Amino acid sequence: MVILAIACHTFRDAIRKKVLHVLIGLGILIMVITPFIPTSGEPDARLKMVFVVFFQVVLVLCNIGIIFLSAISLPREIEDKTIFGILSKPVSRMDVIVGKITGFAFLSALLLAILSLLNIVVIQYAASGIPTEHRGILKAREEFKPSNFSIRGKIHHARGGIAWIEGEKTGVAVWSFTDVNKKEGYRYSPEVELNLKLESSKGFTDVIPLMIGMENPVTGQGIAEVVPAKLDESLTLHIDPAIIQKSDTVNISVFPVLKTDYMGVTPEDVKIFSAQKGFASNYAKAAIITFFKFLLIVIIAVMGSTYLSAPVNIVSALVVFLCGHVLDFMKDFSLLIEHYDIHEHILPAAQRNPGSLLIYVDYLIKKPLEWITFILPDFKRFDCLKFILNGVYIPSETMRMSIGYTAVYAGICLLISSLILRKREFF
Amino acid sequence: MTKVYRDFWGRKKIHALTNLNLTIERGEIFGLLGPNGSGKTTTVKLLLGLLFPTSGKSWLLGYPSSDLKVKNKVGFLPEESYLYKFLNAEEILDFYGKLFDISKKERKERIDRLIQEVGLAPHRRRPLSQYSKGMLRRIGLAQAIINDPELVILDEPTSGLDPIGCREIKDMILEFKRQGKTVVLCSHLLAEVQNVCDRIAIFNKGTLQVVGGVKELLSQKDVVEFLVRNLSDADIHAVEAFIKDKSGDVLSISHPSSTLEEIFVKIIQNHS
Repeated sequence: MVILAIACHTFRDAIRKKVLHVLIGLGILIMVITPFIPTSGEPDARLKMVFVVFFQVVLVLCNIGIIFLSAISLPREIEDKTIFGILSKPVSRMDVIVGKITGFAFLSALLLAILSLLNIVVIQYAASGIPTEHRGILKAREEFKPSNFSIRGKIHHARGGIAWIEGEKTGVAVWSFTDVNKKEGYRYSPEVELNLKLESSKGFTDVIPLMIGMENPVTGQGIAEVVPAKLDESLTLHIDPAIIQKSDTVNISVFPVLKTDYMGVTPEDVKIFSAQKGFASNYAKAAIITFFKFLLIVIIAVMGSTYLSAPVNIVSALVVFLCGHVLDFMKDFSLLIEHYDIHEHILPAAQRNPGSLLIYVDYLIKKPLEWITFILPDFKRFDCLKFILNGVYIPSETMRMSIGYTAVYAGICLLISSLILRKREFF
Repeated sequence: MTKVYRDFWGRKKIHALTNLNLTIERGEIFGLLGPNGSGKTTTVKLLLGLLFPTSGKSWLLGYPSSDLKVKNKVGFLPEESYLYKFLNAEEILDFYGKLFDISKKERKERIDRLIQEVGLAPHRRRPLSQYSKGMLRRIGLAQAIINDPELVILDEPTSGLDPIGCREIKDMILEFKRQGKTVVLCSHLLAEVQNVCDRIAIFNKGTLQVVGGVKELLSQKDVVEFLVRNLSDADIHAVEAFIKDKSGDVLSISHPSSTLEEIFVKIIQNHS
């Protein structure tokens, strides 16, 4: 009752703040005008843009608004001394923290629900102008990961977790999948998606021919064909349903046709998508995961507010929010320096090693990065856009992981907040 | 209890309260008096758990003051009206009522009664941002007693109130006493304290200087005051001569006057 009372009061106080109105208004305006912005290239580019703008602009604006409000709420109460009126009642300090967080959780949920529904209307409008065959982004395909990965024959070399295979069948990469046809509601021709690293020692080239085989190891049924694969682009092929009709197992084997070509592979490079599910439920999942992201930053902002003043807390919460998103980029940067020689086949020998400056930078940032990664929240865990843009059904594991991550992080933050606020005096 | 404020580095800065040892009896109106910075508000904040004592302990109604349960029986009106200005009178009382976990029906009854009692019925739906200082004080007092407390702590309750409002608050405080509530009153206004308090404590520079009953502290044992009606000037001189004859010193002979407050209240009430 007490927590609910504080939560409702916090919600009521927050919802009337002009900064929130302005940010939401701006977000809605951006969302509404997005379908009218001219696009070029792929037929579904407009639809993709609607999703990207929603998840990376509108929701970020919303998130900033929530951060701002949750960061100032408690410091404002302390500054205005309205906290006296609460703490002189039978209310524990933990009740105040949990009440504040719950209030902002209500606010986040309401905003997400309204904006997501509005975005669905915008999506429908944007999709109406696109031919049905190009609305693949509105699918929600289930992803299957390989149960086994092997390389038959010779590996040219391996570095940074990538095995490189030389062309002309000196080595063949094989990904094995099971249970691809067992899901209920199967009404979709399975697709195989290959994200391979391709290079040619001939110099600059756009397309590399690959021999791709799809075979059922139980029935022996299958096909093999040469497919031109573009560099730095994923390759999608349909699996003939007849191959997996009698048995649910399929092997995908790939090797470069030409001796001058190289293919870098990892176990995660090939996936099968099958059993299409509802887009609406997938979108709802994305909204729920995003809600947990909102909740996490609210908890961090409220935790900061138990010790910091309002302006300092706003800045620190925004910094955490920003770092939580660019941690991945920073890690990638370090990885990039470390594996500078990934593209060694197209680089002259002199350029294969990274510069001493880059090694020095890498050395300097690596340890601090490790600590930052350990302490700061990783908001990339809540990234649903990559699934939505690929028309992939968000795995339940992702959902469980994001909820679990929020729960663990929230528990630690609540403990710290409680310890700080318990010691705090109100003059 | 002792309370020492420290600076950022933990060094002792100000002795806000030194070795306070005080018992307030149930059912009495107890006044905390003293100049600014004497330790009155610090004492109240220590009792309410807003500050922590550097040393010592305090009990409220027989429970340690740190016990949350005891706060169900305590009402507090802070020095200033620290209220949520975007709410109206009904909403703010409802919010504070919820913090005491009072049922919805009970809350509604109490809110209606208290708004009536503090004279804010015509303004119950106006946001507090539009209230005058005196109105804020009244709603502050209403929130302090929303839980029907056994102990009411009032920090400068008449601050910002006009004489009528002051009189009403005084009457309310005396009514609390009739209901058997204990009242702790912090005030600068000595007349106010003198009129309503049973006992007082006087603080100075964080130290308790005097504690005792108001009548006991104010009475001058060696001075006698007669209040007589219908005595002629000749009789007055005769009485004066008689006293001198008995070796008494006549300090003053005068006609008593009303207080300014009494006249103000009389005039305003006659014209309203």
